[in-house]
Amino acid sequence: MALLTVKDLHIHFHTRNGIVKAVNGVEFSLEKGETLGIVGESGSGKTVCCYSLLGLLPTPPARIESGSAMFEGNDLLNMSEQDLRKIRGNRIAMIFQDPMTSLNPFMKLGEQLTEPLTTHNDISKQEARKRAIAAMQEVGIPEPERRIDCYPHEFSGGMRQRVMIAMALVTEPDILIADEPTTALDVTIQAQILDLIKKLQRERSISVIFISHDLGVIAGCADKIIVMHEGNIVESGTTDEIYYQTKHDYTKKLLNAIPSSAKPESAVFHAEEGSEPIFKIDGLLTHFPISDGGVFSGKTDECCKAVDDVSLQLLEGETLGLVGESGCGKSTMAKSIMRLVDITAGSITLNGKDLTRLEGEELKTARAEFQMVFQDPYASLNPRMTVYDLLAEAIYVQKNCSKDELLKQVVSLMDDVGLPAKAIRKYPHEFSGGQRQRIAIARALALKPRLLIADEPVSALDVTIQAQILDLLLELVKKYQITMIFISHDLSVVRYLTDRTAVMYGGKIVEYGNTEDVFNNPQHLYTKSLLSAIPIADPNKERTRQRVAYTADQIA
Amino acid sequence: MTQSSETTAEQSIIDLDSVESGTSLWEDAWNRLQQNKLAMFGLYVVSFMIIIALLTPWITPYSYFEQDLDLGATAPSAAHWLGTDTLGRDLLTRIMYGSRISLMVGFLATAVALSIGVLWGTVSGYFGGRVDAFMMRTVDILYALPFTIFIILLMVVFGRNILLLFMAIGAVEWLTMARIVRGQVLSIRQQEYIDAAITMGLPKRQIMLRHVIPNTLGTIIIYVTLTIPNVILLESFLSFLGLGVQPPQSSWGLLISYGVETMEEYPWLLIFPAVVLSVTLFSLNFLGDGLRDALDPKASRD
Repeated sequence: MALLTVKDLHIHFHTRNGIVKAVNGVEFSLEKGETLGIVGESGSGKTVCCYSLLGLLPTPPARIESGSAMFEGNDLLNMSEQDLRKIRGNRIAMIFQDPMTSLNPFMKLGEQLTEPLTTHNDISKQEARKRAIAAMQEVGIPEPERRIDCYPHEFSGGMRQRVMIAMALVTEPDILIADEPTTALDVTIQAQILDLIKKLQRERSISVIFISHDLGVIAGCADKIIVMHEGNIVESGTTDEIYYQTKHDYTKKLLNAIPSSAKPESAVFHAEEGSEPIFKIDGLLTHFPISDGGVFSGKTDECCKAVDDVSLQLLEGETLGLVGESGCGKSTMAKSIMRLVDITAGSITLNGKDLTRLEGEELKTARAEFQMVFQDPYASLNPRMTVYDLLAEAIYVQKNCSKDELLKQVVSLMDDVGLPAKAIRKYPHEFSGGQRQRIAIARALALKPRLLIADEPVSALDVTIQAQILDLLLELVKKYQITMIFISHDLSVVRYLTDRTAVMYGGKIVEYGNTEDVFNNPQHLYTKSLLSAIPIADPNKERTRQRVAYTADQIA
Repeated sequence: MTQSSETTAEQSIIDLDSVESGTSLWEDAWNRLQQNKLAMFGLYVVSFMIIIALLTPWITPYSYFEQDLDLGATAPSAAHWLGTDTLGRDLLTRIMYGSRISLMVGFLATAVALSIGVLWGTVSGYFGGRVDAFMMRTVDILYALPFTIFIILLMVVFGRNILLLFMAIGAVEWLTMARIVRGQVLSIRQQEYIDAAITMGLPKRQIMLRHVIPNTLGTIIIYVTLTIPNVILLESFLSFLGLGVQPPQSSWGLLISYGVETMEEYPWLLIFPAVVLSVTLFSLNFLGDGLRDALDPKASRD
């Protein structure tokens, strides 16, 4: 008999704007030791579904309309809060998406790890501590005896996620629900966490429900998969069935949305003989002083070397991919070029002008030539301005023109990025994430820049939307002969989009070359490790491949 | 695309009839507010009070200062709906005239606080660093001055004057406003749309006016609706102490202060002004609460 059987689950949200059917007849069963992958884009109901099992849904507005979830002969959905509490954290444990917010910053790890143990079992504090240390050891946290008395902020994101997993495992649960456990992590860390979950599952034969939007991540660890779309299960089956005998169109769309190939031939950049680079960075240093945080303290001599001696050159129309993990300095480099942070030394030359020397009116005029698309389209558009205001402002600030001219240009920009002109009076919150990013791209293009910096422009978007935005960028860059620096932590995206790739680590560029060369024949250990960590949406490849590990010492 | 955009350009650039009108966050908030009965009740009451206060000289048959010592204090009657005070003046008329002073103090002093506070807070938060430190320490020092002594000093130096009262209260209330606005600006300063505005080459003044301040307005409006009752109370308190409005002019605070003196013989002289003051304060608070719910972006997510 299955460990957990969910039948005919319907969950509705009763909101002021009517009923939202978040989950619509979901059914699945989970055997002991099995891993179930639930795949879907944001809003597909995958998280709601799993939250309902543990009684974590806010009711109201959510209401479980019908359905059952049988766990050892009891229906989880009809259980009293008291009985549910005995199961939650003890028999069924959960790992959340963001390790930065799911640990209590005011409690030592030891207290957080032993809490589920002492609440659910009648064991002494010493015993609980011993088991907590053992769990930390198991999830690969070095020196657990010492680090158990640390606070969460003393750990990196990957380590915190390990702590979360240790916390979930410490009570030896039967089922582990992992809600996008690696989405907030860097690829190399993601690979480690995935390996860890797989190892634990093998050794302890825990059942895992693995929620993710990323078919690549799911491919290597799930035994069977359900694909959700708008609250419905559109396809379910074993992992091989889903990937190799895909039936439903939506699943196909998801699979195809993952760019796994090289740049399309039509978009490949061909340099003309003897052309001079349009954009040059020479010996760029951006250091931030570290102050000790006291009220009267001045600046200390110590500094954080966010960008450390970077040099590169780009030809007109060329696209550069800048990859690296969070904290490697890639965003700081973008901000340095954009003159949003002050640089320490070096020069940045665009079209013969040294951007670092420009001030006042000169800088203002020059800004038209280098523009940026920001990461989060929810934060980069002023929520109080209409599309027209947003785009017209960008044009108007650089040149005075008549109202008719302004309107004409705004409409043509909207047309360029595929937004209907009739939406011109709408506000950002009335658009979806992908459409907002289109507005942001239109704004960046409004001034007809020579250089465009795109800082993780698709990482906040769903996979199917990502592909559309990438294609749009590719098309526009080609059309207007724009030189682009594309920053991303997602290597497959970089491969699809760029001509040259620079790999950044600790503020330095460790590898730089033609994209295909970097991907096919990586030289640097760090690049190799990055490449080996990309999840592939192909279960057979994913199960067998070897990862290249590295330590910080080897690279430095 | 050039083809299509040129044709649309010929049709006067864009067919304006087909343009879908968007709903701004303000309209959204207004819709939400209308669904909040208590807040709407507050809004109606406050509007009613303001209209009455404006029309007072034309709708009341009595004057607020002419005494009728023969009449003296009388209980509510058909001629004097809320009775008369010890000097034979119609209480309803005095409350209505009082509302002119009290509401005016409430709104004008808040307006003074608003203008100084928003400007100070925005500049301080936007520029940060030393500017911020200097401006905020100034606020801290002013905070440390005892309010009552500050007002008494002002009164002693400049004499009693209703305008001075606005200035005095405003000069104290702006401190909190400046702090709140600064906090808001600091968080908005981190938003990517500010970076985007900088990269477009927008001058600082424009960034503040177009991008920063409009996004602090939600918080500011809420704080304003909570400041107005505060200020009205302050005026009542000052008048009660004899530092505020001078007789024969009246304000709610003054009326209550007289009412207290004669509470035992003529309770209505205390009860009616107190009820009017309370209802107004409650209404403003309901409205403030309602606005906070309506303008809170989290509320729109459900």
